[in-house]
Amino acid sequence: MILELFIQFLIASIATLSFSVIFCAPRKEAIFCGITGGFGWIIYFILNNYVHYSIIVAALIATSGLAIISRSFAVIRMHPATIYILPGIFPLVPGAGIYYTAYYLITKQHTLFAQKGLETFEIASAIVFGIIFGFAIPQSLFAKLGQLFHHKTT
Amino acid sequence: MTTTKEILTLTAEIGDAMLRNGAEIYRVEDSLVRILKAYNIENFDIYVLSNGIFASANEGLDDSCSIIRHTPLGDVNLRKISALNQLTRDICCKHCDVKTAWKRLDECLNSPSPDKRLLCFFCGLGCSCFTYLFGGTILDSIMAFVAGIFLEIFLLYCAHQKLSRFTKNVFASIVAMTLSLLPLLFGLKISYDKIVIGVIMPLVPGITFTTSIRDYYNGDYLSGTIHLIDALLTALCIAAGVGIVISIYQSINGGVPVL
Repeated sequence: MILELFIQFLIASIATLSFSVIFCAPRKEAIFCGITGGFGWIIYFILNNYVHYSIIVAALIATSGLAIISRSFAVIRMHPATIYILPGIFPLVPGAGIYYTAYYLITKQHTLFAQKGLETFEIASAIVFGIIFGFAIPQSLFAKLGQLFHHKTT
Repeated sequence: MTTTKEILTLTAEIGDAMLRNGAEIYRVEDSLVRILKAYNIENFDIYVLSNGIFASANEGLDDSCSIIRHTPLGDVNLRKISALNQLTRDICCKHCDVKTAWKRLDECLNSPSPDKRLLCFFCGLGCSCFTYLFGGTILDSIMAFVAGIFLEIFLLYCAHQKLSRFTKNVFASIVAMTLSLLPLLFGLKISYDKIVIGVIMPLVPGITFTTSIRDYYNGDYLSGTIHLIDALLTALCIAAGVGIVISIYQSINGGVPVL
């Protein structure tokens, strides 16, 4: 189980890292973008496969975790949170949902189409609320974290 | 002594650059206000939309001026956002006068875009990793790697030709779907749906969607709606592209469902 989790984390990190390169992230920050995405995915993966939460709850918690991690990196590394959260969101975005919705529509399986379409919409809404929760945490807490970290290094 | 006009132009240019490279509205507005304050302009007003900037300073005085900028939605460039953020920070700490700021802005805007081969490689790598994450086998991932490289080549070509976002997304999605179906022709045992999911990942509007949510969260409803519509249309384009290829493929195979 540990090995599987590690592989999932590693692959998700590499995937996010590659996308951060496509979006021209600063070179030194690409690895942190990767770690952010890896964490987001691993939270989602554990909640979905081991705790057996529904996809929607898993996406909600994973996205808020993602937002918190990217904001922590933002204060630690002194860059805007945007550059960590934008590549990091990709593993959670319902790309599969878009594909299957289109597929079922074309193959005229209307029940499955409605089901997948609704699920995609629900995951998107879960991501919305996840980000809102993640960003609702006051900045002062993160500023404290930043101070803690920068005192250590200096 | 720098005039108000010069400072306001600099501010608008910085905001313009931030918007073009995909920063969220709140960050742009906040940065512009801070810059103007740092240069001791007291009386100003700024309104930023996701595709425009309106700014005026010292209204009612002799050196009053105002600026309007139109900024079309562009591609995301995280490095430029980061560099501009640093520039804003330095200006606010008064480390940077107007002349240096102009110079640094020019440097930032003219910074070279990354190597195209590197982009293709990483696009392929990203696609193959996503294929694996969503349940593909190793063989699927390898196919997705090849498909991802060709997709990025196509996207770069589109950027070169300056196609509209709409056309670009539909055609890129068609290309992605076709590339994923190709290995079937050679009789390889692949689950092509997993490959497609991986390969359409670079097209999926994750970034616009996130920006839209953050705009809503900060109370910029109009900009949030513009980004949201952009995200929805992109998703629709992807679905349309995938749908076109699947229906053609089905009709060739005599109406047999492919899955």
